[in-house]
Amino acid sequence: MTLEADIALRQGNFMLDARFTAPDGITALFGPSGSGKSTLLSALAGLKAASGRITLNGASCGQIKPHRRGFGLVFQDARLFPHLTVRGNLAYASRRAPARFEIAEVAGFFDIANLLDRPVGNLSGGEKSRVALARALVAAPDFLLLDEPFAALDGARRRAFLQVLRTAHQRYRIPMLVVTHNIDDAAALASHLVALADGKVVAQGAFADVARRPDFQALLDRRDIGAVLPASALRSAKDEMVQGLWLRADHVLLAARRPEAISARNILEGRITGLRSEDDGSVLAELETQAGPLLARVTAEAARELKLASGKTAWAVIKAHAV
Amino acid sequence: MSPVEMQILATSFAVASRALLWSLPFAIAMAFFLSRPQMPGRIILDGLTHLPVILPPVLVGLVLLIVFGRRGPVGGLLDQMFGIHLAFTTAGAALATAVMTFPLLVRSIRLAFEATDARLLEAAAVLRAGPWDRFLSIALPLAGPGILAGTVTAFAAAMGEFGAVITFAAHIPGQTQTLPLAIYAVLQEPGGEAEAVRLALISFTVAMCGLVAAEFLQRRARKRLAG
Repeated sequence: MTLEADIALRQGNFMLDARFTAPDGITALFGPSGSGKSTLLSALAGLKAASGRITLNGASCGQIKPHRRGFGLVFQDARLFPHLTVRGNLAYASRRAPARFEIAEVAGFFDIANLLDRPVGNLSGGEKSRVALARALVAAPDFLLLDEPFAALDGARRRAFLQVLRTAHQRYRIPMLVVTHNIDDAAALASHLVALADGKVVAQGAFADVARRPDFQALLDRRDIGAVLPASALRSAKDEMVQGLWLRADHVLLAARRPEAISARNILEGRITGLRSEDDGSVLAELETQAGPLLARVTAEAARELKLASGKTAWAVIKAHAV
Repeated sequence: MSPVEMQILATSFAVASRALLWSLPFAIAMAFFLSRPQMPGRIILDGLTHLPVILPPVLVGLVLLIVFGRRGPVGGLLDQMFGIHLAFTTAGAALATAVMTFPLLVRSIRLAFEATDARLLEAAAVLRAGPWDRFLSIALPLAGPGILAGTVTAFAAAMGEFGAVITFAAHIPGQTQTLPLAIYAVLQEPGGEAEAVRLALISFTVAMCGLVAAEFLQRRARKRLAG
């Protein structure tokens, strides 16, 4: 299932004009707040009128009413129906779905089986998010849109939810477009990346390719600048099943010789492909490793002492807490 | 209560419940329509709905008499086709009451619709619920307690409708003589004050019961929806 969109809409002074493709799999829709991510999702789902073209697997669906369009949407604020129990919410979706999911099975998968008969009013934030996601899945959408579904969660609960989301994707095989402004979440979830700024798509494509583009890096906070590595390339301190890990340049140390007797768990050998002096006096070194490109931030002084130069071999040392 | 008083009370209940039964579906439809901000022609309909509040009730009764009287355009048609007479009947009293309580009913139901989260309707739409489905499965149940409370209040008010009823339906004991009409009638007789006070007390008790019931229903609903 491939989603293609080329849509425009105006909202006061804000103009959204987005053209992108989201292939099968999980695509992250990344952008700073105010870039129009939620508006774009609403337009895709048909909740906001937009001009242009939306196709699912080549079939145009931009003119179809939201309830027949085949998009599912998980809202930031869960939007569970307060007059129904958890089971009632799931059954609401199931009754109207073209394909039936066993509610008990889905509830078991999302770890909400013991909540089924509870009213939704007194669920915790994490529980609400899981119920909202389960409800959206039970509706058996052709394509699932998620609007920062973990915005209300923090720390461990957030990571747990990311996990659930990824496993759900693999298990139920529903393609997803996930809105986030958190680069870690994006890297953990998505294989494909669409970057949005000021209502326009600035970059899109395979995650790792987009992530290294300067126009994408320009969207990031200075502290967030980094690169993505496939999770399989690293020995992670947290035993999680994620797509990739976002390694901030600030969290990567560079060594000119192979480091020994060191506590860091992950050491990657690579060749320096570029050095960029930053305004603050630091140097961003781009390193090509077997696992992919990496960015490391070093001081100008250190860069001189280590005699860093393009083409030279260096070792990237990644602290465990960074992964 | 004396048998006469019982009869008056029964007439009042019959008139008020028929009035509510007829106007409720229209009131719900109108209230939902008025609660949608994007609907065109909202201001005009809102004004029309509230006309009976602003017009003198006697005038409303007169208009009903002209339109629904036996020689009126609608009344004549009803007479010829179905043999239905509205003027000076219980049904007529109910019609006059329905018209008078309609604005009150619409207003409270509209508040109930406006208090329900429109974003939940969006959520239902992306779960494949069509417009009617969304209305029946989300909007109506969420507004339900408010609708019920509004109906109970309107019922209490309907029991006390006077001007339009007496103009359109007159006061015929056993048919159109409701509580306020009876109070008015006994006041016309010398020495009727004591009976008028008795009837007023009954009227007051019924109204209070209605208001308390409405408040109770609303509180219970709030608690339920808050989880």
